[in-house]
Amino acid sequence: MPSHDAMRAPDPVPTDRRPSRRSVLRGTAAAGAAGLAAAAAGAAASPALAAPGRPQAPDQRTGPSPATLPAGPIVVHVRDARSGDIEVFSGTSQTSLRDKDLAARIARAIG
Amino acid sequence: MSSHREAPEISKDPVADSTDVYAFVSPDAPDTVTLIANYVPLQLPSGGPNFYEFGDDVLYEIHIDNNGDGQADISYQFRFRTTVRNPGTFLYNTGPITSLDSPNWNRVQTYDVAVVSGGSSGTLGTGLPCPPCNIGPLSTPDYASLAAAAVNSLSGMTVFAGQRAEAFYVDLGAIFDLGDLRPFEHLHAPVGSLSARHGVNATNHLNVHSIAIQVPISSVTIGGHPTIGVWTSASRRRVTLWDADRGQNVLSGPWRQVSRLGNPLVNEVLIPMDKKDLWNSLPPSHDKQFAGYVTQPGLSALLNTLYPGVFPKLAELVDARKPRADLEAILLTGIPSGIIDGFTTFTGPVLADMLRLNTSIQPAATPSILGLLGNDPAGFPNGRRVRDDVVTIELRALAGLTYQLIDSHYKPDAAAGEISDFVPDPPAIGSPPTSTFPYLGIPYSGYNHPS
Repeated sequence: MPSHDAMRAPDPVPTDRRPSRRSVLRGTAAAGAAGLAAAAAGAAASPALAAPGRPQAPDQRTGPSPATLPAGPIVVHVRDARSGDIEVFSGTSQTSLRDKDLAARIARAIG
Repeated sequence: MSSHREAPEISKDPVADSTDVYAFVSPDAPDTVTLIANYVPLQLPSGGPNFYEFGDDVLYEIHIDNNGDGQADISYQFRFRTTVRNPGTFLYNTGPITSLDSPNWNRVQTYDVAVVSGGSSGTLGTGLPCPPCNIGPLSTPDYASLAAAAVNSLSGMTVFAGQRAEAFYVDLGAIFDLGDLRPFEHLHAPVGSLSARHGVNATNHLNVHSIAIQVPISSVTIGGHPTIGVWTSASRRRVTLWDADRGQNVLSGPWRQVSRLGNPLVNEVLIPMDKKDLWNSLPPSHDKQFAGYVTQPGLSALLNTLYPGVFPKLAELVDARKPRADLEAILLTGIPSGIIDGFTTFTGPVLADMLRLNTSIQPAATPSILGLLGNDPAGFPNGRRVRDDVVTIELRALAGLTYQLIDSHYKPDAAAGEISDFVPDPPAIGSPPTSTFPYLGIPYSGYNHPS
């Protein structure tokens, strides 16, 4: 019998709005840029978060549709800024990714 | 204690700290089993104005393994929700609480129950009321009625969640003072006083928070397997972030287990300090890695040191480094058939710390608090009843009394059959267990305790 871990979550996010891994990753980018930028009074005012010399991905230019964003907060945990080891939490979901560039930009944002 | 504050991390998180698990065939409804999981240890009844409650941010579960693989086949899940009716006062209640919907009760807790089984999850009840804490004669003048009103009958089960009186008894102060047992203090090497003393029940007049369910035996067993394994767990979301602006925590991520309890005292006194938090995070099916701490218990060796000359046979057993197959059977596999006439709690070879209950054994007409050691097969380690003296039973087992079950040539020390933290009798419990569900006594009131 498999573990009940997967069955444990009375998820505050309705099933039909539970983020897929892809959407979480998109959300992560939004959180890295938008979430932290909000704390820093906007991405445009936060040069530490900007990626100079790199063209912005289409999602970052236009922003994700509100319908695809998770309803609750997205929490990003940079486990190791040097390796780019990042965990992203939303609802009862967790996604791990490795993105040195994103980790470096987040690290720069906190000074 | 059974599992109160047993590991470094969970000792700092009492809301999620499981303290005791009980599992027994209900004496007044023998076609059912009663499963009780206690949390929030060592409650001083007068501890207001923010009295004790379950954690809204904790997932509480009672698990049942009915095929012996150490994994949950049925999990009952409990989630709590706190409502403040009048945020403008600091008071828990603004007048007498005479019913569960009393407008005088300011901080109310309700809960949802779900069951996970066979890969699917179903809701059994929502918005079920907890009783308030027992405040005192002015605030909770008829507490028994409030508690009775909080016993809920759902489809196929009876459930209760709320404050009850602590029923576990132990001389904490002495035992954790270098393994002192007051009745045997005169034999204790570091103490060596001339006279034995009476034990002190350190948990008397304290409360806990209990989750109790009563379910038909037929709903938790499978054919040919009358013995179930029971444990409780508490889980928290992986992320807790304090949002000071909102004055509340932001919770995110999947649930992760932070507390576990099956057999009493296993994590508390058998698992070493650097493994306790890990043990709490794992399911019983992962317990093989801890088996050495059960079969070579440090406490058995310590008994020889603390009580020199009292346990010579045990000393030989420890020195020989013979694995304690008796303890492995009692705690990790269940006792196979053929060892004790007509008795078994064996669930298979998987080493898993679970409270094993053979549901085919009927409740005893005259229970012995020493359970199987008292020739009462309906008691611990066949499940655990509220009054079972699990400290004495396990102390005696650790002292070698049960080794003769697997080695008929072994003659245990006389002291192994006498060792206890209470001699000659266990202590009286101020609010004794009841004869009906949820079986734990009415919680002590803050007005009267301490007195």
